[in-house]
Amino acid sequence: MNRSDLYSLTPLLILSSAAILNFFSISIKRNHKVIFAITVLSLIGDFIFLTSYSLYHQQHIDPLLVVDGFGIFNIGLILLTTLVVALMSYAYFEQREERKEEYYILLILAALGACIMVISKHFVSFFLGLEVLSVSLYSLIAYLRTRERSDEAGIKYLILAAFSSAFLLFGMSLIYATTGKMDFGGIGYYLTTTQDIPLIMMAGLGMLIVGAGFKLGVVPFHMWTPDVYEGAPTPVTAFIATVSKGGMIALLVRFFNAINGYQYESFTNLFTVLSIASMFVGNILALRQTNLKRILAYSSISHIGYLLVAFLSGGSMGAQATTFYLVAYFITTLGAFGIIATLSDQHRDAELIDDYRGLLWRRPLTAVAFSAMLLSLAGIPLTAGFIAKFYVITAGIGTQHWLLVFCLVVNSVIGLYYYIKIIAVMFDQKLQIKSAKELHPLVYVISSVTIAVLAVFLFWLGVSPEGMLSLIDDVI
Amino acid sequence: MQPQNGIPIDYYIWLAAALFTIGVLGVLYRRNAIIIFMCIELMLNAVNVLLVAFSTYLNDAAGQVFVFFIMAVAAAEVAVGLAILIMMYRNTKTTDINILNRLKW
Amino acid sequence: MKDFLWLIPTLPFLGACILIISGNANLPRRAVSIVGCGSVGAAAILTIVIMIDFLTTGQIPEYTVIVNWFSVDNLSVPIALHLDTLSLVFVFVITFVGFLIHVYSIEFMHHDESFARFFAYLNLFVSAMLMLVLADSLILMYLGWEGVGLCSYLLIGFWYEEEKNGYAARKAFIITRIGDTALAVGLFMLFAELGTLRIQDILTLAPQQWATGSTTPVTICLLLLGGAVGKSAQFPLQTWLPDAMAGPSPVSALIHAATMVTAGVYLIARMNGLYVLAPQAQLWVGIVGAITLLIAGCSALTQYDLKRVLAYSTISQIGYMFLALGIGAWSSAVFHFMIHAFFKALLFLAAGAVIMALHHEHDMFKMGGLRKQMPAVFATFLIGSASLAALPLISAGFYSKDQIIWLSFASQQSNIWFFLAAVVGAFITAIYTFRMVFLTFYGEAKTSVSHMPGNLITQPLVILAVLALFAGFIELPHTFGHVTLFSDLFSTTLPPVTLRPNVESHEWIIQTSTGLLTLVGIAMAYYFYVIQPKIADDIHASTIETHRFWYAGWRFDSLYDAIIVKPILFFARVNKHDFIDKLYSALVELSEMMSALFSRSQNGILRWYIMGIVAGAVIIITFTLIITP
Repeated sequence: MNRSDLYSLTPLLILSSAAILNFFSISIKRNHKVIFAITVLSLIGDFIFLTSYSLYHQQHIDPLLVVDGFGIFNIGLILLTTLVVALMSYAYFEQREERKEEYYILLILAALGACIMVISKHFVSFFLGLEVLSVSLYSLIAYLRTRERSDEAGIKYLILAAFSSAFLLFGMSLIYATTGKMDFGGIGYYLTTTQDIPLIMMAGLGMLIVGAGFKLGVVPFHMWTPDVYEGAPTPVTAFIATVSKGGMIALLVRFFNAINGYQYESFTNLFTVLSIASMFVGNILALRQTNLKRILAYSSISHIGYLLVAFLSGGSMGAQATTFYLVAYFITTLGAFGIIATLSDQHRDAELIDDYRGLLWRRPLTAVAFSAMLLSLAGIPLTAGFIAKFYVITAGIGTQHWLLVFCLVVNSVIGLYYYIKIIAVMFDQKLQIKSAKELHPLVYVISSVTIAVLAVFLFWLGVSPEGMLSLIDDVI
Repeated sequence: MQPQNGIPIDYYIWLAAALFTIGVLGVLYRRNAIIIFMCIELMLNAVNVLLVAFSTYLNDAAGQVFVFFIMAVAAAEVAVGLAILIMMYRNTKTTDINILNRLKW
Repeated sequence: MKDFLWLIPTLPFLGACILIISGNANLPRRAVSIVGCGSVGAAAILTIVIMIDFLTTGQIPEYTVIVNWFSVDNLSVPIALHLDTLSLVFVFVITFVGFLIHVYSIEFMHHDESFARFFAYLNLFVSAMLMLVLADSLILMYLGWEGVGLCSYLLIGFWYEEEKNGYAARKAFIITRIGDTALAVGLFMLFAELGTLRIQDILTLAPQQWATGSTTPVTICLLLLGGAVGKSAQFPLQTWLPDAMAGPSPVSALIHAATMVTAGVYLIARMNGLYVLAPQAQLWVGIVGAITLLIAGCSALTQYDLKRVLAYSTISQIGYMFLALGIGAWSSAVFHFMIHAFFKALLFLAAGAVIMALHHEHDMFKMGGLRKQMPAVFATFLIGSASLAALPLISAGFYSKDQIIWLSFASQQSNIWFFLAAVVGAFITAIYTFRMVFLTFYGEAKTSVSHMPGNLITQPLVILAVLALFAGFIELPHTFGHVTLFSDLFSTTLPPVTLRPNVESHEWIIQTSTGLLTLVGIAMAYYFYVIQPKIADDIHASTIETHRFWYAGWRFDSLYDAIIVKPILFFARVNKHDFIDKLYSALVELSEMMSALFSRSQNGILRWYIMGIVAGAVIIITFTLIITP
């Protein structure tokens, strides 16, 4: 490893050191504020460091990693997302009596795992990144021990994730058995030299999709999503919904481009089926749901379905559409969960639709921000979600995926129903008096400012997306 | 395909597949969370067998290195998993996964 | 200066946003007036600066400011504004007259509870109207088109507590929707045929694509005419405008006289290149104008309500503009639009001041004698009326209307019927205008004056009166003066009118005779309503069939009620349990059922979830194995 390798890996090193620093800090004295400050500062510092890279940075750290524009962009996205999650966690955890300091270590480690995933070009780094992320997530989900049902969510996620990563590993080993290679480039090279792909290899790729599909929560591997979303602490839910899924998507894009998977009709057909099933099942399941976190879980299933449309379009257009969609989806999801987190009290999360009845009259700005997030999820113009969806549809039409585009449009309509339903509830006049013990208002300032910034980004991307589009264009 | 020791390499694939399937079925059929963990370990070990076999067969060390990573990760997973299981046991006094159905619909 | 063009529609929009967000309760009235008038005033100043810039540099302005919203793949979605002399004239009228009306509204609406809401709507209207005339593409223009329709609806029904106001608002909205639908279909056809909706592209592509008089451009032009007819309250969709007078007087002045109702004129003038290709459609524009100006003029003769007289006269004057468009006198139509905006806004504002002074009394027969009591309003109203009646030589309306009458005689595309309609219309206009003046301001006072208009009302009136008198002098006919400042502006944007050979010598005859006709009309009005008011009272009291027929707007409302509304209501009753709705409710039920069915799968049992993964894995592996590449 030489100096330029080290330079390229500095963002990851900063994250690891932040985790270790937090360890030491806890061993000296438990102080939520200090840990929070260390976490936030290191994430910000890391992001600032990241901006020092040029967009065309390209550093292969053979055989495991490659730090290129795409990777850097995604690391930046992950860092910012983690930062937002950390910011919204402070008020959320401050209300609770349990120990909250280790939470930030786990959060940083999970982000580290996701960062490794998005720059990996080898099965080993892929697997390690994934597992660092997953193992941190197990503990994060079950973090609040006294919280109702968090043990259940933790166990469910643990068993299902371990089970599916066994599939992933088996797929990797089968691919290794046929190709003798574990780096994406080598596998891609093998595929170009072979006319007839062995059945074992195909089975291996299939199992790989099972593992990846679980992380993404596509149908039929989606069933954990609502349960875990509901059971996990809200900031953790936001993290799962964004970083964990986004990291996997970025990795899939890289892997599929490396092996040029788009040329195999069986895979594109397979993803088409997965995508359509995800859209329909996610949206239809959300229709009668009354728990907001579960609604967002179902909506995330369908959103991954939309994302797969862009992913399936392939090429640079597909990758751009995917990335832009991820950015828009990250902002919206973070905003939505951030609002749920701020409205939660020390006993339970504000997760039932009825908790939002008449919110507009109680907290007008929060309600407006939440409406904006929901409208963006629904893809209404002037929000980031619209541009993202438009981009996806353009990509789909450009590659003549008519069926997918048709399903996407139909599902946008179905989705509109439950997004608007929530907004309608917020506008309901019947006031519900809520008497919760309020914390020091300063605690909420952090969360509120975070949400405000997210809302501004949401509109900014919706009104003038050119900057972000050209940035994405440059990194891909 | 005849490696040095005389066992055809295909057999390893079948062995691994069989082990993996046993693991899958175990996860499906058992109700005790600890045994489910053991079955997942079995699945991982099937992977390990396959990787080691082909690593030797292909004269490529990467497979064996991967095996060590998998073992380490599996250990970490089990450590965290058992901790969560204990937490669950404290709350419910059982390790039967069938009682976990409060999160639904 | 052109870099600031985008500010012109944006400023009023921002004003509207601020006022909508702050609502009625949160801002003091002073702040609301400052925001409301200030945003439009700033836009007006910008417009004037741009105008001066061009008048001094002598260039004909023509440029496009593009804000690229986003571009994906090959598709880019630009938001472009296009300013040329045509849009400049409209922008000037909208911002300048709009500003005066805003100022007037401060006092007029001062006691209204929903002060902020009123200014929010007005600002929104101004910004939508500016978007309409500045749009570079028809799609953006359509946005403005619908935006002004929405604001018109909101403002007609501004006093929504009264049911009939809400009814008038709905009527205006629905009837204009008929035209809008035609317009939308026309836009679709244009896009299908030419593949673009950028106005400049259309105007360059169309002549290459189509021969003159071929079916496609004629169809498209007729559809666009349908949109224009709806928005501009022309025959046969004119019935909404008189009822629209339910809105506050400044609204009638701004929307239903000066700006929005002339959007149809703008549309046709803007698409002149298409109409040149479709002479049949252009003839229909003229026919619509001629019919409208006559029937609306006759209706204006018989109204009691001061504002309804003005409403019918608006319809009639826009009929003149359509007539001008129909005979290819493009710049005359725009000239008449501008002058009309000045004097009609003036008349509405002055009428508003009168109505306010007389406890919201609308009936002219209950007014009278206001000449002495409200001298300022009387003077300005008189000037506006002179302009409307086209009093020869001294009023601006004379120069604009005279041009149209002259060209309806002289233009190649005109015919004798158009000319006759124009002349008769001018005569009727003179009668009903001065009938209105004499009834309102002469005779004995029948209602006492309660509220004298203050400065904020009189000053806009005075400014508009000056314009209504002198704005005509920028364009003088050949026979004397021969000033063509205004039509020179359009030398590149609008095609010139082609005259029939050897008609120039008749110009002075026609001018003199129409001038005399106007004077005769005024004299008749004076005779009937001042010298011998008994006759007028008799006519008023009598129930002559024609009188009632005209009073009811030629009974178009009853006609439409009988042939359209009643059958539709009948079908609606028959189809009470909408059978098409069944399809949609079935879809809803299906979704609900599916939702219930699917949610069975989310039963919270971990082993079931594991089963899901295994099943998925089996399916995927089988899938990949069976359909191997």
